Amino acid sequence: MSRDRRLHLGAFMRPAGIHTAWWRYPGGEPDANFSLKHLARFAQRLEAGKFDAFFMADHLAVMNMPMAALRRSATVTSFDPLTLLPALAVLTERIGLIATASTTYNEPYHVARKFASLDHISNGRAGWNLVTSGNPDEALNFGRDAHVDHATRYARAREFFDVVTGLWDSFADDAFLMDPESGVFFDPARMHVLDHRGEHLKVKGPLNVARPIQGWPVIVQAGASEAGRQIAAETAEMVFGSASTLEAAQAFYADVKGRMPAVGRNPDHLKILPGAFVVLGETEDEARAKKARLDDLVHPDSGLANLSVRLGVDAAGFPLDAPLPEIPETNASRSGQAQIVDYARRTGATVRDLARKVGGYGGLQMIGTAAQVADRMEEWLETRACDGFNVMFPFLPEGLDDVVDRLVPELQRRGLFRRNYEGTTLRDHLGLPRPANRFFA
Amino acid sequence: MRQGTLRLGAFFYATGHHVAGWRHPSSEADGGLNLARYVGWAQRAEAAKFDLVFLEDGTGIRDTNLRSSERTARSAHFEPVTLLSALAAVTSRIGLVATTSTSFNEPYNVARRFASLDHLSGGRAGWNLVTSTTDAEAANFGNDRIARHTDRYERAEEFADVVLGLWNTWDDGAVVIDRESGQFSKPDGFRPLNHRGTHFEVQGPLNISRTPQGQPVLVQAGSSGPGRDLAARTAEIVFTANQTLAEAVEFYGDLKARLPRFGRVADDLKIMPGLFPVVGRSEAEARAKFEALQDLIDPVVGLALLERMVGGFDLSGYDPEGPVPELPVAEGAKSRQQLMFDLARREGLTLRQLYLRIAGARGHAQIVGTAAQIADEMEERFRAHGADGFNIMPATLPGGLDDFIELVLPELRRRGLFRHEYEGTTLRAHLGTRPPTGFGSAAPARIVQP
Repeated sequence: MSRDRRLHLGAFMRPAGIHTAWWRYPGGEPDANFSLKHLARFAQRLEAGKFDAFFMADHLAVMNMPMAALRRSATVTSFDPLTLLPALAVLTERIGLIATASTTYNEPYHVARKFASLDHISNGRAGWNLVTSGNPDEALNFGRDAHVDHATRYARAREFFDVVTGLWDSFADDAFLMDPESGVFFDPARMHVLDHRGEHLKVKGPLNVARPIQGWPVIVQAGASEAGRQIAAETAEMVFGSASTLEAAQAFYADVKGRMPAVGRNPDHLKILPGAFVVLGETEDEARAKKARLDDLVHPDSGLANLSVRLGVDAAGFPLDAPLPEIPETNASRSGQAQIVDYARRTGATVRDLARKVGGYGGLQMIGTAAQVADRMEEWLETRACDGFNVMFPFLPEGLDDVVDRLVPELQRRGLFRRNYEGTTLRDHLGLPRPANRFFA
Repeated sequence: MRQGTLRLGAFFYATGHHVAGWRHPSSEADGGLNLARYVGWAQRAEAAKFDLVFLEDGTGIRDTNLRSSERTARSAHFEPVTLLSALAAVTSRIGLVATTSTSFNEPYNVARRFASLDHLSGGRAGWNLVTSTTDAEAANFGNDRIARHTDRYERAEEFADVVLGLWNTWDDGAVVIDRESGQFSKPDGFRPLNHRGTHFEVQGPLNISRTPQGQPVLVQAGSSGPGRDLAARTAEIVFTANQTLAEAVEFYGDLKARLPRFGRVADDLKIMPGLFPVVGRSEAEARAKFEALQDLIDPVVGLALLERMVGGFDLSGYDPEGPVPELPVAEGAKSRQQLMFDLARREGLTLRQLYLRIAGARGHAQIVGTAAQIADEMEERFRAHGADGFNIMPATLPGGLDDFIELVLPELRRRGLFRHEYEGTTLRAHLGTRPPTGFGSAAPARIVQP
């Protein structure tokens, strides 16, 4: 059976395990998140499994939670994505490499340089997950008393995108002649000085890196607030969605893609990949038992701390066996807060229930046999809830091996996923066009 | 007689340090754009047992003279820490030192990147602290002009304090990973920095634990007054540029004499001047190699190079066969400008002769000769306490590097001046230095919740 819609699969790998207790699961590699040796092996396995991309989230502060929870967290020490990914680039050949970099606490010239360099180093496999920083404590590491407010962050991010992509276009693709005879290294007529002067940023250019192999690294985003959806429609090529129900995902998909024609973009040039936490077993019971075992390893201190992070307010003082009290809007992630508050109101869950729910992992979960998970993924794909998934593994290496060894072959068998890479770049894997240089024909 | 062995750095500069190197067959002209070249050079340098690979940097195209920059290979290269991270995966012993400026960066980001590189590489990372010196770079970060020399160094001092402080917000052994009890790290194993200064307010802690070396090696290169004190207080390597033995000995003596004030001893800091060698099997062969490179220098390029070295002043109105003119003090490169004038005066050089002189070595010591002659110079400088080692600047890459490895290293080894094998696994072990102490917060851990 031939299909016109096929899945794209990303692997969410920083932190290597998203569930709070992933590192405690028996038989696992608890230091996996912070070991090049392990992470390289995972990247190579994922490549054998034909994944589109290896994705790294990021934070510019230790997670904002009390010490009682922090000491139990495996993410307290993690690699900087733009140092790990170049190392993985030389140890892999095809898999895409997506790093998160904040527009709030970085300068666009640095971001443009690093991603262009990664794209060259990896022969065209880089992606930039553009975020505005969800962790309010980051402000305190960059000389500010409080996190920059939501609206300002997004306005700066929009301008930041223009500057970075403008810098990537500093040289035409054919600018570097490198002709020893004539002594001309590059053609100055094929170099553009950006000279950006905007409300938030002033950057002259040009960038001191040749045009990336992909033209531009792939632009990825994750914010789902109103501002986030609009910026995604205008600029993103991949969106990591956070919907946890089919209906919410379909609504998000229709909304974001629906905005694209108005800004002159083809909706096929944006791939929406919700996060999916996948736990596999020979039987559904076995899979559920693994998940329960994992949840049991979450310490109550960690659960409440996670809830606080999601809400953007300290939940430690809330009565545990009462429903969730009123929560003010905060400067943290709006969509993250909205989801959990919505769930609480809908179900009447107590604070204790919520802590347990988000204590491990609170987003979309697919728990069952390979066939059952494949069924569900197929349904999401066919009903336009997504273009694929950003897969999260419950524990390592077993959770990752399960997906590569059992789920991927099932998806391939159904014609839902590639058997082989067809192209060499991340754009090729995602079916995205290569951007033309805006300054040169 | 002074005993011991030399420290050697392999200073990689895409296509080589000679400004016309890219045009020579012994260079890989696409070096700045092609990772495979760097992988090759780094692996050769490691096989030869160099202490470290070094990358300089600029956050912009510093040569604003387009007629010149179109004819050099200096306008496009990889971001250095990104590049070293890739090289970390294909090497196992050689140190990895990258330049990152304090001028347009945030200390939290810099502390993180180098700590991350140190973890990735098993303890081989070094940060070369510089301040940015050109208006062209300033313009890429929203500024019309580069800051004044003293202001740049004030910021750099505080920047170094914050980075060293952040690297010390974690204790060794804080990450325990106890699956049974569910404890990943010791609650008292890391703490905020709570730095509040003139230029920076940084809470911390760093979101990376103590590295395999404890903390990365801090390197510096400035040779002016404030630069020397900062180096004595915080650096384990100083790269410098000097021409004569007398200059080298003066600098070495002055810098080492500043160490005790900061509770450090002479061995804690290695001074490694740059050295630009062109080596041949005979003097004539070496000279011919060098002349072949000099002949490839485009006059537009030569003059522009000199203009930048003396602080960006336009030299096109002066007679190239005439003497070097008097110029105002350069904000961007005080020490380098002084070096140029001293050189011209000492040797009675014309403008053209000066640009031909510096076209390769950019003010560093240049030796064209046989392996024995080069080894003699290196040995003399080492024994006279003018250097603890050298940062080797091949004229072309890989040709110049291969020549040095094949011809000069065996001579140095024969004299007992260079290692045959690596003994340790970290950059600090190769160097034999100790990190500066007294950084990190003495404040008690911030109690957020019991």
